Amino acid sequence: MKRRLYLGVLIAVAFNPVLLFAAQGNYTTGGTGFEHVHALGIDADGRTLFLGAHTGLFRRENGGRSWQKVALPASASHLDVMAITPDPKNSKTIYIGAHEAGVLKSADGGVTWKEINSGLGGVDVHGIAIDPNDGKLHALVRDKGEGIYRSTNGGGKWIRVDDGPGGEVKGLYSVNISTGMGGIFLYAPTAEGLKRNPDCF
Amino acid sequence: MGGLPTNRTVNGFAVVDPKIMYVAMRDGLFKSTDAGETWKRTGGELKNLAAVAINPKKPNEVYVATMDGKIYMSADAGMKWKKQQ
Repeated sequence: MKRRLYLGVLIAVAFNPVLLFAAQGNYTTGGTGFEHVHALGIDADGRTLFLGAHTGLFRRENGGRSWQKVALPASASHLDVMAITPDPKNSKTIYIGAHEAGVLKSADGGVTWKEINSGLGGVDVHGIAIDPNDGKLHALVRDKGEGIYRSTNGGGKWIRVDDGPGGEVKGLYSVNISTGMGGIFLYAPTAEGLKRNPDCF
Repeated sequence: MGGLPTNRTVNGFAVVDPKIMYVAMRDGLFKSTDAGETWKRTGGELKNLAAVAINPKKPNEVYVATMDGKIYMSADAGMKWKKQQ
């Protein structure tokens, strides 16, 4: 009987990567494991799929099926990851936006991370857009300090440039369509539909 | 923005090209090929979507996540989908 039970557990683990996490002690929440998913992002090389959720940041390599939880700085170990923005020109650079920790940046493909919040008026970040032409960043902050912030040095310093779409905003994306005014468009999924605005604030 | 369900939350967005766009909604996955002017539902019965992403090296490879963490992948720009988890 014990042997049959053991075999059953082995089969269940083999066909369910989340159970495998639980079995390894890496990841122990129930259901699918992620709870509420907020974001997906793929690195510039197309090799790593990142997933942001209420339970943190996860990664999966080369089309595989097993997810690894990404270790984030201790000061923000239980991040609600709202946005994932890979640099389209550098596969090692990834930005994430989090509910209570602002913007975090990795320059080594997601191995190590640091908070880059200098100049942000708040740390509830729901979107990060990167201009594919020059790498300029826009971060969308909700609640305290609400608005859109711009950084022209990879997140080293942020400056508030606009009030933003307001309300329940789900993300922020730069789209390489010329506005005819010297900039491109920012798109924002929101509770009131998809909105867009020129980024030349 | 014709073709998207009105007064409904858009949860996720992804773009390639840049005229080809996808949005993830509770109502399903929608695709535009004209920079968001018009949208058509794609992805069959997919529902309760939280996020969408496109492989930058293979623009026809599209991933979606449902709100509760199920992952689906399409290798043909959203026509056929396979559950991955």
